[in-house]
Amino acid sequence: MKLVYSAAFLAANLAVAAPAAHAQNTNYPLTVENCGQSVTFDAAPQSTITVGQSATEILYSLGLADRVVGTSVWFNPVLPDYTEANAQIERIADNDPSFERLVNKNPDLVAVQYEWHVGPSGIVATREQFHDLGIPTYIMPADCDTKDNTTGGDGTRIAAFSTDSVYKGIRELAAIYDVQGAGEDLVTGLKDRETAAIELARSLDLPEGLSAAFWFSSADLEIDPYMAGQKGAPGYIMDKLGIENVVQSDEEWPTVGWETVAKADPTVLVIAEMDRRRFPADDIQKKMEFLKTDPVASQMTAVREGRLVVMDAHAMSVTIRTIFGLETVAEALAGFDFKQ
Amino acid sequence: MSDAAPVADRRTIRARWHWGWITPPVLLVALIGGSAIGETNIPISTVLQVLGNKLLGLDYPVGRIDAGIVWEYRLSRTVVAACCGAGLALSGVVLQALLRNALADPYLLGISAGASTGAVAVTVAGVGAGAVTLSVGAFAGAALAFVMVAALARAAGGGTGVRAAGIIVLAGIAGSQLFNAITAFIIAKSANAEQARGIMFWLMGNLSGVRWEDVEVAVPAVVLAVLTCLWHVRALDAFTFGTDSAASLGIAVRRVQVILIGIAALVTAAMVSMVGSIGFVGLVIPHAMRFAVGVRHGRLVPASALAGAVFLVASDVISRTLVPGQVLPIGVITALVGAPAFALILIRGRTTQ
Repeated sequence: MKLVYSAAFLAANLAVAAPAAHAQNTNYPLTVENCGQSVTFDAAPQSTITVGQSATEILYSLGLADRVVGTSVWFNPVLPDYTEANAQIERIADNDPSFERLVNKNPDLVAVQYEWHVGPSGIVATREQFHDLGIPTYIMPADCDTKDNTTGGDGTRIAAFSTDSVYKGIRELAAIYDVQGAGEDLVTGLKDRETAAIELARSLDLPEGLSAAFWFSSADLEIDPYMAGQKGAPGYIMDKLGIENVVQSDEEWPTVGWETVAKADPTVLVIAEMDRRRFPADDIQKKMEFLKTDPVASQMTAVREGRLVVMDAHAMSVTIRTIFGLETVAEALAGFDFKQ
Repeated sequence: MSDAAPVADRRTIRARWHWGWITPPVLLVALIGGSAIGETNIPISTVLQVLGNKLLGLDYPVGRIDAGIVWEYRLSRTVVAACCGAGLALSGVVLQALLRNALADPYLLGISAGASTGAVAVTVAGVGAGAVTLSVGAFAGAALAFVMVAALARAAGGGTGVRAAGIIVLAGIAGSQLFNAITAFIIAKSANAEQARGIMFWLMGNLSGVRWEDVEVAVPAVVLAVLTCLWHVRALDAFTFGTDSAASLGIAVRRVQVILIGIAALVTAAMVSMVGSIGFVGLVIPHAMRFAVGVRHGRLVPASALAGAVFLVASDVISRTLVPGQVLPIGVITALVGAPAFALILIRGRTTQ
């Protein structure tokens, strides 16, 4: 049975993944070093549960939607390409799922976006609790490779995030599921897009000292906003495009006063758009209105010159969407006039 | 014996002189300090020029962002901080006197617990679907909690005297526990960590959202509270000896209780809904001022109001400057600075007695 299944899959892979000639088959048992723990797989997982939209979307992008039996922790609608596939799969919870609901589905892998869901003080459960039941866990390396998650909240980056950790996660998942060809294709496609966006920005001959701030949301409209720190996904985007972040913090999403932001007077302001409606400032219209009416924020150069970039909120976290965010900013820069 | 009355009068007169002269310059220094020190570095000369332009109609050339920061953000914020400090300290004075309980603070009546519930209901559970602001939700929650606590205290009866004061305290505890439980329930049910953190930040007290509209609420509330308390200083003195003594001195016990507790609750609810529940000020400033100026309310009321105002302005400045580029919750600062300071006062108070 297993033989038949993997043979069929091999055939499918060969059909889809023709360019990735060097792609190998996985030899099981496979051991992966993942966020400080060794996880061993005797065979490719057949029924996966995901905790975190990024993990879900990477599996979909690898063509593994039929191996996913449940999803949880959603931020935005699924990537348009996978709307149909996603509709077939049970959404266990919009936010944090309960341990028993997950275990009850009898998964043979739990794929996780954020370590704080299953880390040492995991709010769903600890990895050990899953492992005791013989259920392996895999955490996206983007959330632990350059990051200290023991500091609470969103954690602190100890070194700058790079898309390499996203590619590493894709490749490792591809190996775990024995779809390494699809993994290489996905990585190559994303890398091409990344390079193209960087090339575009370079061709624009952008002025010296270009600066930006990324505004995610605010607990209340006029209160200190959550701004992107130096080392997360927005930091990576700015670094790659030659933009300076006016926020100095290494926290993932520090609260920074409008006073500090206005005084630093960024050339460009990037604003998150999301479906979440928890705080009034989640609404992009409310954000725009605040920028136009606040006596100080409205005086910032970026606002006066209309250099506001609207970006998918999920592209501001470390996922495959980070690369789409890079494209968004590069394309927006191409449309701005920096002569004034 | 015959000398006693004139001496007391002279003392009272000197006391009045005292705070009447001290208050304006101290407040002025605090307001200028609050406008001059902040997250970013703006030279004091620029700050004074902005204030001169705005207040005296002068015409110094200053940058539009600097001018906005000083006038729109910092000064309004400092004024509200001063009002909050004064209002919370006065609520503490009133409740400690009326309930004869050293542990009474403005949040005793369930107001901060109710405000938290209201805020969480709006931001986490999504009541009002984004149309109701956090402040409105918090005020509604605070008002609801206070009404429930007051109704419970009334239903439990007890008329006047020690038992009545005890019942109000117990009703407040019951109300606070209930509303805290509802808050915890809402957070546990529907919030993720990032969301809970956002709301905790607000619950610890946050002045960064303050603008001039808030000043229009804060100043009248505090002026009302100060005037009401000054009007009732004799009654407050009498209550410290118990309701029976107050009644025997000709105080309309019931009416004074209703007015003063009502004012304390109103001011606290207004402040909490604007800036979150800032702890420590309402509990500790009245005690500290009792050590400094004595227990007579003629002095205690103005001294507490002024000290609360200055303390909160100073705490706000520290919260904005302690970690560069980041603002800490002011409640953390009031406790961090206030607790050791209060410990010192306690120790000194013991040795001098």
